Amino acid sequence: MLSRAATRRWNPMTEYEYVTNDIEAIVEDADLPRRLKDRVYEVIDERGGVTTEQADEIARAVSSQYNDTRVDALDPVGTVSAQSIGEPGTQMTMNTFHYAGVAEIDVTQGLPRLIELVDARKTPDTPMMTVYLEDEYAIDRERAHEVVWSIESTKILALGDVSTNVADMVVRVDLNEDTLLERWPTVDDADVIASEIAETIEDALGVDTRRSGTAIEFGPSEPSYRELLQLVEQLRDVVFKGIEEVTRVVIRKEQLDDGTEEFVLYTEGSAFGDVLAIEGVDASRTTCNNIHEIHKNLGIEAAREAIINETVNTLEEQGLDDVNVRHMMLVADIMTNRGTIESIGRHGISGSKDSVLARAAFEVTVNHLLSAAIHGKADRLDGVIENVIVGKPVSIGTGDVKLRMGSISTDGGKPADD
Amino acid sequence: MVDVSQHELVPEHILLDDDSEVEQVLEEYNIKRTDLPKIKRNDPALPDEAEPGDVIKIVRDSRTTDTAIIYRLVVR
Repeated sequence: MLSRAATRRWNPMTEYEYVTNDIEAIVEDADLPRRLKDRVYEVIDERGGVTTEQADEIARAVSSQYNDTRVDALDPVGTVSAQSIGEPGTQMTMNTFHYAGVAEIDVTQGLPRLIELVDARKTPDTPMMTVYLEDEYAIDRERAHEVVWSIESTKILALGDVSTNVADMVVRVDLNEDTLLERWPTVDDADVIASEIAETIEDALGVDTRRSGTAIEFGPSEPSYRELLQLVEQLRDVVFKGIEEVTRVVIRKEQLDDGTEEFVLYTEGSAFGDVLAIEGVDASRTTCNNIHEIHKNLGIEAAREAIINETVNTLEEQGLDDVNVRHMMLVADIMTNRGTIESIGRHGISGSKDSVLARAAFEVTVNHLLSAAIHGKADRLDGVIENVIVGKPVSIGTGDVKLRMGSISTDGGKPADD
Repeated sequence: MVDVSQHELVPEHILLDDDSEVEQVLEEYNIKRTDLPKIKRNDPALPDEAEPGDVIKIVRDSRTTDTAIIYRLVVR
């Protein structure tokens, strides 16, 4: 959606048959956003052209309609957003697992996901990444697999068999030569790979290894049954290739808008920063569903975009796509306002309000009142909830309009009393 | 390191080194500098030369209009 807007600096004349120079000048002159101007052109074109007078009338009607639907001053937009997202939330399924298109990867959807997003959880329930590839990596399946192997964490059980010989107190690893060559596509000697693996084992477990071909043997320094079993346990967790956090990668061929096809990787588990640096990964499109990782690697503005995208997608997935995107944008704006991601709730936005009464009205009332009393806090009563509590008009909508009375002096017309 | 400005989620960040432009913005919205949304100094998308107290102009590709321009104050 975003990239399209950026590349759309075309001339309406070439795109629409019935849009003349005069009509274009009139529509462009109107005080309308690009999106609406395009809609106007589309409709005019569908109708097979209009006269300049009609075009002028259309432009006027559209702009007056547009101005009518704009938010008024002092409108409680936050409250409206809360309701507009909250109501569809009641219709969401409590728990659904599955990701659109990629049935093999489970992703938290529905209400739990929405809660996760506004709570700004440090790690999502089901972290995942969508990894796009560049150039030949996106077209050639072999090359795409190279990237898969450098992302997916490879543990010992995927590479060969592990057996323990209690009599000799050794752990024996029989590596599968074909698997090695497949997973290390850049090396064509299994012996080299095996020695690399032996080194990794030595570093990770602190033992000396003996290797002959693709068989690796090692054992505890002192004969000890317990230590032997412990070594096997530890060996299972050692990551020989790829990124530890990523447990699985699914490769899929997807059709692009222009008809060409490319390979896209979906991962279970995420390590956004590491993946961006991998060769073959398109660092301009790859994303993940962890907004904190996006924030850390791409900055606060990207995090804002990610929050909007994720909330919109979550609602759409549930068939609730008629929620206006402006509500999600407002939520994302508030969450990223201070340069870091803050959650909506008592640990984030609501908890950092200045007003004691506003905080007390939200959650853990007694704690807030008590600590305010201990520290002798004052409340300026300039928010909404505070004024509801004390029974004064709230400072939104008509409640914020104040009348000032005074006499006007006859000579200068200036207010005598201020 | 990866050039984050190339990512499609990252809008253009421009450092406003001309103070009069900042003043103009603050006057237009009738706000103080500290009322602006913030951006941390260690934000990966920030131009290298930005220091705390600077104002960054961000040109977003907006969902609801053409482009949306917002400003963020660099903070520690």
